[in-house]
Amino acid sequence: MHMPPWFWYTVITLVSWGVVGLLQKLSTNYISAESSLVWLVVGFLLLQPFFYPGAAVFHYSRWNLAWALLSGVLNALGAWALFIAMKSGGKASIVAPVTALYPLVVIVLVPFILHESITRLQIAGVISALIAVVLLSV
Amino acid sequence: MALKETLRARWFWYSVLCILSWGGWALLSKLGSREIPPETMQFLFTLGAVPVGLAVWAGRSFKLEKSPKGITFAVLNGVLAGIGGLTLFAAYHTNGNTALITSASALYPMVTVILAVLILRERIRPIQMLGLVFAAVAIVIFSF
Repeated sequence: MHMPPWFWYTVITLVSWGVVGLLQKLSTNYISAESSLVWLVVGFLLLQPFFYPGAAVFHYSRWNLAWALLSGVLNALGAWALFIAMKSGGKASIVAPVTALYPLVVIVLVPFILHESITRLQIAGVISALIAVVLLSV
Repeated sequence: MALKETLRARWFWYSVLCILSWGGWALLSKLGSREIPPETMQFLFTLGAVPVGLAVWAGRSFKLEKSPKGITFAVLNGVLAGIGGLTLFAAYHTNGNTALITSASALYPMVTVILAVLILRERIRPIQMLGLVFAAVAIVIFSF
């Protein structure tokens, strides 16, 4: 069976983030969600020596460098907002499935920004995936 | 009435902020990955996450609980989340369809639910079972 090239990369993402979800449950049994976020960033930093790009980084366009940095800001900001939502009275059974719908933002904006389109079958797949994350996070 | 109350609730607007932030993160990850290779994307991503980590730490007056177990799990979380991030950047870098890659990678709660059953011996609820069925359908469609 021919798989698209991105498929196996995404499977590795799924498995590692799936384990992260489990460890998140375990870590927050011992420390607060905020402490967990701070130590998570420490975990990111441990990987930095392996990914250090050296002077090569200056060859990329300024915009793309800005997007990469800002993606890190937004990812951590999203996690922080999630913790505050839960702390300020949001039920986990509502907040978790609602926030899992973040791909919707991408799906809505991508046709305008990147001019990509998807087939009807793929739309069915996207809808299945969104229903799945909501049901799995409830 | 319930809608009015929800619109006034703090948790609701923080949930909206979370969705918009993560949507923005995925979209910007794709935009950067068109040119920048995954390793460098992950390096820069981390540089972006550090100030938020520092702000959260400062918000707790630079005090964190000292539970070795909790800290070990959380640091390990960072390492694994970083590896997952790296392969997500790699997926975007292949020029595959952004909506499909983002939807597929968002299915990770599926793995968490399966592991919670296998390792933590948690019981799977019927609604989660149904979720796994939808996830399986999505993955089969995406693999074409």
